Amino acid sequence: MSQPVQSQAVPMTPDANATTADSSAAMPPLSPWPVKVRWFEFKHPVSALSKVWLGVAAWLVFLLGWHYAATSGDANPLFPSPLAVLDALWTLFAERGFASDVLASLKRILISFFLACSIAIPLGILMGAFPRVESAFGPLVSAFRYLPAPAFIPLLLMWLGTGDTQKIALLMLGVIWFLITLVCDNVKQTPVDFIETAKTLGGSRRKILWTVVVPASLPNIVITCRQMLAVSWTYLVIAEIVAATDGIGAMIMRARRFVNVDDIMAGILVIGILGLVCDLLFRGLYWLMFPYLRRR
Amino acid sequence: MSVAEQLDMSSLLVDRVGKTFSARRSSVVAVESVSFTVPPREVCILLGPSGCGKSTVLRMIAGLEIPTSGRITLSGRPVLGPARERGMVFQGYTSFPWLTVRQNVAYGLKLNGDFGALREGTVDHFLESVGLTRFANAWPHELSGGMRQRVALARALAATPELLLMDEPFGALDAETRWQMQELLLKVIRKERMTVVMVTHDVEEALLLGDQIVFLSSHPGRVRTIINPPFKTDSAIRTREDLRAHPRYAEMERDILQMMREEGKH
Ligand SMILES: Nc1ncnc2c1ncn2[C@@H]1O[C@H](COP(=O)(O)OP(=O)(O)OP(=O)(O)O)[C@@H](O)[C@H]1O
Ligand SMILES: [Mg+2]
Repeated sequence: MSQPVQSQAVPMTPDANATTADSSAAMPPLSPWPVKVRWFEFKHPVSALSKVWLGVAAWLVFLLGWHYAATSGDANPLFPSPLAVLDALWTLFAERGFASDVLASLKRILISFFLACSIAIPLGILMGAFPRVESAFGPLVSAFRYLPAPAFIPLLLMWLGTGDTQKIALLMLGVIWFLITLVCDNVKQTPVDFIETAKTLGGSRRKILWTVVVPASLPNIVITCRQMLAVSWTYLVIAEIVAATDGIGAMIMRARRFVNVDDIMAGILVIGILGLVCDLLFRGLYWLMFPYLRRR
Repeated sequence: MSVAEQLDMSSLLVDRVGKTFSARRSSVVAVESVSFTVPPREVCILLGPSGCGKSTVLRMIAGLEIPTSGRITLSGRPVLGPARERGMVFQGYTSFPWLTVRQNVAYGLKLNGDFGALREGTVDHFLESVGLTRFANAWPHELSGGMRQRVALARALAATPELLLMDEPFGALDAETRWQMQELLLKVIRKERMTVVMVTHDVEEALLLGDQIVFLSSHPGRVRTIINPPFKTDSAIRTREDLRAHPRYAEMERDILQMMREEGKH
């Protein structure tokens, strides 16, 4: 359509097709051949309702299986049923002040992750955008990525004491190197054509960084953050095993001493639920931030 | 043409330009001593077989590649790097997916803080020229390939460059859409009286749009001939059919195809 599109109410159809289209409109609607839609189909879209339904179904199967396994034989205190775990969870919150443990853990995770992001995202963006910066920091960051964060616990204890600072530092060490590397890779995905287009439109390097490189890589950076926050949760128990008096991990370690398996499982359950909530929040954030990626 | 005339306002001068790409051991001479002039308001087409260095020449004019020999000037000013005065449309889809069509077209003006032009409706004017007014608030991914190239064209034009550069802008489109885009471009170029350098290997496109066709030979790229087709300035020619019906068209097309075939053999 070389003519401006707005001048035509209806899209142009070639003349030959126009006549057949008219004659078929006069006939009754024709139902299509029955085509079998397979349950396992690549890239088949799933409705929102089926998504919920399928997700809940898998959970139910898991819980019922667990319940059956735990209650079928003799009652085993080392393998409580889901109901016993729920019961333990209730007692923890109602009678033993577990809420303050959860809050302590949540605070550590959020502060450490915020600090990790506020260093890793700017550094990752600079590394991904400018090869010289990457050459300088890349080898350093890669080396640190291979060092296991828990190995730093003794050092952190000596340097930072036994308080929150030490736990936050450990959680940071656990994710920051991966965050830097992944953000750098996200930024490197920016198409060269985008950058060159902005150059030929007269953009300075600073402006191109802010108006092309950052918006082009931001969706993937948010996904990276979502995934690394999940990793952060997996470090929580390690961070709270040593020299901790509060937090979900500390509760789990106390319960282990008294072989309260149901309390341990309740702690694990809470971590799982909080992780899931964080994930959903990030998905919501993604949906709000990137309206142009909503359905594709 | 005298030197004084060549340095005329807004004319492009490509003077004995060469480019050698050097990798670790080997080096490729992509272009060697290419010279041509594009007077103001004329369309220059770079034509030639694949790999002859058309994109390289265009990218050097854009300032995205630095020549290893020779000089390029626009209106007497040396080309030292990319700038707003030389806008470019690429072959691939380069509309920014995070901006709507209107925001994409306004991007160049915002980038330069040209709020005067934004207020005066420059963006609407160029949306109108490329026929996208109705889609101003759509996201690029909702558009067809041809429409996305129109966004890229409008975005380049809205920044009001002295010289418009295009590297096979319709190369990724199907034949039907490509003709439509060529006719649209012809209309826009005539209306806006743009100075253009455009790369293509579509002979018909070259003849329809060009005041001047610089034919490059391959390995290394050199200017083989310069052809001056009469069709762009002929206001009777508006569509592909008008072009093909012109008495001189068949002969010119045959000659160029003949050259293409000869170059292809080397
Ligand atoms: N960045 C580069 N590094 C090394 N060699 C290059 C580079 N860019 C181009 N070349 C070489 O320069 C020559 C010309 O390339 P160019 O892309 O300019 O050709 P072209 O005429 O645009 O081809 P096409 O019609 O296929 O787009 C080719 O031999 C190519 O291999
Ligand atoms: Mg090319």
